[in-house]
Amino acid sequence: MDQLPNLGREQEMLQSMGLKSMDDLFSDIPEDVRRTDSLPLRGPQSEEEIWADAQHLLGVNIDLDSRPSFLSAGLSRNFVPTMVPMLATRGEFLTSYTPYQPEVSQGMLQAMWEFQTMVSELVGLPVSNVSMYDASTAAAEAITCAVRVKGRKATQKGVVYVSQFVPPHRMSVIENYTQGVGIELRTLEHGMDGRVNLESATEAQGACAVYVEQPNAFGELDEGISQLKEIIGENTALIVGVDAVSLGIVEAPGNYGADIVVGEGQPFGIGPTAGGPIYGLFACKKDFLRLMPGRIVGKTLDEDGKDAFTLTLSTREQHIRRHRATSNICSNETLIALMGAMHMALLGPEGLQKLALRVAATTEVTKQAVTGIPGVELVDPDTPNFREFAVKLPGNAADAVAYMDSVGVLGGFPMGDWWESMSSCLLIGCDERTTKSDIDALVSSLSEWVEEVSA
Amino acid sequence: MSDIFQFNGAEGSGWAQPEPIIDDSLNTIPASLRRANLPRWPRASEPELVRHYTLLSQRNFGIDTGFYPLGSCTMKHNPRINERIVQLPGIDRVHPLQPEHQIQGLLSIYFEMQEMLEICAGMDQVTLQPVAGAQGEFTAIRCIQEYHRSNGDHQRDKVIVPDSAHGTNPASAAMCGYEIVEIPSGDDGRLDLEALRAAVGEDTAAMMITNPSTLGIFEPEIAKAAEIVHTAGGQMYYDGANFNAILGKTDPGRMGFDAVHYNLHKTFSQPHGGGGPGSGPIGVKEHLAEFLPSPIADREVAEDGGVTGDGYRYFWRTPDSTIGKVQQWHGNAGAVVRAWAYYRRYGKELELMSEHAVLNANYLRYQIMNANSDKRDAIHCMPIDGAPAEVVKHEFTLSMQPLKETTGVTGKDVAKRLLDYGYMSPTLYFPMIVPECLMIEPTETESREVLDKFAEDFLTILSEDPELVQTAPHDTDVRRVDEVLAARSLVLRKEFD
Repeated sequence: MDQLPNLGREQEMLQSMGLKSMDDLFSDIPEDVRRTDSLPLRGPQSEEEIWADAQHLLGVNIDLDSRPSFLSAGLSRNFVPTMVPMLATRGEFLTSYTPYQPEVSQGMLQAMWEFQTMVSELVGLPVSNVSMYDASTAAAEAITCAVRVKGRKATQKGVVYVSQFVPPHRMSVIENYTQGVGIELRTLEHGMDGRVNLESATEAQGACAVYVEQPNAFGELDEGISQLKEIIGENTALIVGVDAVSLGIVEAPGNYGADIVVGEGQPFGIGPTAGGPIYGLFACKKDFLRLMPGRIVGKTLDEDGKDAFTLTLSTREQHIRRHRATSNICSNETLIALMGAMHMALLGPEGLQKLALRVAATTEVTKQAVTGIPGVELVDPDTPNFREFAVKLPGNAADAVAYMDSVGVLGGFPMGDWWESMSSCLLIGCDERTTKSDIDALVSSLSEWVEEVSA
Repeated sequence: MSDIFQFNGAEGSGWAQPEPIIDDSLNTIPASLRRANLPRWPRASEPELVRHYTLLSQRNFGIDTGFYPLGSCTMKHNPRINERIVQLPGIDRVHPLQPEHQIQGLLSIYFEMQEMLEICAGMDQVTLQPVAGAQGEFTAIRCIQEYHRSNGDHQRDKVIVPDSAHGTNPASAAMCGYEIVEIPSGDDGRLDLEALRAAVGEDTAAMMITNPSTLGIFEPEIAKAAEIVHTAGGQMYYDGANFNAILGKTDPGRMGFDAVHYNLHKTFSQPHGGGGPGSGPIGVKEHLAEFLPSPIADREVAEDGGVTGDGYRYFWRTPDSTIGKVQQWHGNAGAVVRAWAYYRRYGKELELMSEHAVLNANYLRYQIMNANSDKRDAIHCMPIDGAPAEVVKHEFTLSMQPLKETTGVTGKDVAKRLLDYGYMSPTLYFPMIVPECLMIEPTETESREVLDKFAEDFLTILSEDPELVQTAPHDTDVRRVDEVLAARSLVLRKEFD
């Protein structure tokens, strides 16, 4: 054991305080609850052995970069600049706790204040926190936040309209976060063309909030969303979930009236990493500030008048407000947000734009190529897409994915796993790294399967 | 002052990337949706940013730079192999929705971790999905809520917490819609069974408690407390924040708990990273298992022998009456893998970890509370125990109330002065039941020499000129920060001219 500096010195330490054995240290545990046998677990390993096992077990996994991959469903097969993990894992960042002592935590505090600024600029809203767990908890807590802020003036008490095309795993998180606290979720309908039905959106007037995603679960961009705020009015919060990269070319929701913007931060800073740790973006207008979840960094002065940063508005938080807190969030995803800040700063404004254009390009080329396959049709033929698009296949999409898998292509996500009624639909995800040969592989494997099922 | 926005190179400078695979991809975005103005992010080169973040890191205190006795947070050393492992493409470049046969290695690690955590806590089923301790609490209380509903017990609308509980406990229960009943601790800081008896009833959904308590003391009557709550029809929830104290020595199952959360970022060395990421798996007894979030890793004997080498095929399983999702995917897989690497180091000797954590806490407490008499005479006033105990567990509390009364020096002053000596401050003013509280948790990864030196420096501070202590810190990067100003005139982002 190489992790215990006092190993072998236990006796001298015990004796110095008048104790005889390690057991004396646990004499306060009543016998009826004490464990007497040893843990039935495997033996200890050295770092060398652990590394070998890790290489073996993780080596069994097939990584996305090893084959043409079109699986996205909300995560990005991005490229993270080498600088990002190298700098973020510097021990001073990696091994620090929440910066409750600002006098010795200026580095992380400043980095988070800069992160807040970059997120604020990205989405077009003045306030950002230092991260939520992921896009789904960010959406869920945006809804509970909006109900707290808009609840009093709302004529539809506790009611929140949620887009019909929010992916079910996110919807499930939203339901768990809202079910116990008097919030009623209603469905914001979409039309046959996939777009939000703006006429039925008028029903949301007087509700606490509306939650929509741009793009939606099918990767579809909806021009109507920029008119939503006008339709629902000042007293109803507009919450927009975004693909953060798309904002390099798609208008920031803050600029068309969104009150809160949430989204998955993962494309900036970290690989898909089997679904976590990733981080949720959360930004809002100033009138939500005092009832928002999560930590916030403010700029202030020290007693010598020197610029300094500190966590602020902590009276919202659980360690002070306890059951009246705006959220139970304590540990968040700061280190991943730091990686996000580094990545955003490396990209710069034009780098972001180019990244978005790259994704838009591969999405369009893949969409054209796939819809060229006879028998494969877009679910919504007339909508623009970013990163993902859904196609209807002449058979079960899970079978198509299994076939493509057998020839070494990760062909997308079978949408029947989300909605049973969509079992013939395949969600195809593209990213900045999708190549023309990847697209060729997708098209040829999918064509083969289509020919087989159509024969 | 300089910040990242000082870097403002030429337009279009910066990160080089391949060109889009077609030229006119902007045309795929309808004109009405196109972004008018780009975000005002810095325009920086890699050398500028590497230096910027290196300099920032040097203005940040971590375990790597000094002793971090932050009570309740278990700031133990973070082995570096963990960081190396999570850079492997088999975790970094993996999508959670890949077909099961493509991620057998990941699933097997999940399964191994579930099983290990079940054994360590005496629970029947673990899920690794919650991504923080607080989310674990929320998830377990949600499962308990569905359990009561499935029994038709809709009147159970209250959750009991001791007044010494972590703030996340009441906050998590409130997020599920529960009313919070706070019960006062006894005069000795321990759980007051009479107060508990008076609080339970047909409306009790659960009790949330940590043991050892936030005072670092093992609750001797925990089994009796469990019996009282169970008799009333409530469920017992174990806050695993202090699990580092008891691993291998006892477990929540033996104490009578029905559900527990673990903090992989405390007990199992996932780095705290300035506030996260964490990982807050939960374990439950059989009767709650059907409500757990989906999915859980499971396995069956593989006819073809499987690919991981252990003869099993691994798969995701959805519990029968699942509450659904609390995180979008399968939790913080990266944190799970780090914790796995840490667990493998100890294996069945995990109790060694707890023994040394408890040894160090008791040793440090002894060095502070039993300073020799010459030293004592020079000290303005010794702290008193947050609660009396023969032995503590992994942490202990000191009340600086006598010092405050004698000299006016507060717990906060002492905490800030410790920063001058190169230490992180202990947890301050928590638990709230101890006046002028400092809560100290040394962890098992500090040497006796560090503990001796800390005790000596701590006692030196108690004999220093009170004004020197009250105006601390003096030698840090910035002096005492004006938090009132920060909250009054909010500057939450860079404003551009």
